Amino acid sequence: MKTAQMKIQQMAFMLIAVTLFFVLVLMFFLVVKFAGLKETASELEEKNAMLLVSKLANSPEFSCGNSFGKNKINCVDADKIMMLKENIEKYKDFWGASNIEVKKIYPKTKNARTCELGNYPDCDSIRVYSKEISGFDASNFIILCRKETSEGETYDKCEVAKMMVSYS
Amino acid sequence: MKKNKSGQEEMVGFALIVIIVAVIILIFVGFSIKKPQKEPIESYEVESFIQSFLQHTSDCKDKIEYLSVQKLMIGCFDNEKCEEDGRETCEVLNATLTGILNEGWKVGEGGLTRGYLLEVSSGVKKIVSIQEGNVTKNYKGAMQPLGRNDIQIEFTAYY
Repeated sequence: MKTAQMKIQQMAFMLIAVTLFFVLVLMFFLVVKFAGLKETASELEEKNAMLLVSKLANSPEFSCGNSFGKNKINCVDADKIMMLKENIEKYKDFWGASNIEVKKIYPKTKNARTCELGNYPDCDSIRVYSKEISGFDASNFIILCRKETSEGETYDKCEVAKMMVSYS
Repeated sequence: MKKNKSGQEEMVGFALIVIIVAVIILIFVGFSIKKPQKEPIESYEVESFIQSFLQHTSDCKDKIEYLSVQKLMIGCFDNEKCEEDGRETCEVLNATLTGILNEGWKVGEGGLTRGYLLEVSSGVKKIVSIQEGNVTKNYKGAMQPLGRNDIQIEFTAYY
């Protein structure tokens, strides 16, 4: 092998080595930079989901307001959403969600039924958009309140429920 | 010529080592920036759960109204009874919380929750303690003071 050929070969190897070295440095930099990314991403995801459902639950269309005592957090007015369900065409793209469902957790009725004006409040879940929950969804516990009558007196009846919002 | 050959061999060896190291680091980077998996239970769920069940209306009535779980806890601490049927508030509180927990956190049955523990206490006095399923190393919990009689609510969900 000629000396010139040898030099070219050496240079080629040297170039590969230098390139790989820089690639390694870049990779090291990336690893350091993205080290906290996983935690930050899951924290953000958690926060977003919570904000999403809480934002809806506390929006004027859903929230209890002052109807059930002082301002309650994550309190949804069942009577209000039953009326909203009946007039949902006016709110078709208002929240950007493909479906919103409020499911009663406790106490359950004997036959798990979807709420309609005919069977309300003797039912378990209120489907605001009348569709199945599909695609990406977020859920959170809420308190579902309504006005109930007992022995001629009206009182506030609040039950534990779960609000599910889906985006397709 | 012999010296040159030895140099070539050294360079090839170095290049090979660098390539192997690069591949290992690439795999490592691939794993570290992989999309994080969603946790089966989020901590905000636990916090919201406590907030929600505290406002749940029970079937125990005092002179004025049907008591919420929050008021039942205070009633239980003071050993009060339901006005309508004379049941102990502690008994109603226990039954209501057990029902809510059973429906809200399904243990097993293909669900992700392995178990839960709910404790309501005031100092060293335990008002309610409900446990179901197994205690695991993965858990999400929250604590909420009631602001009266030093009552504290602690809930932990294991997954």
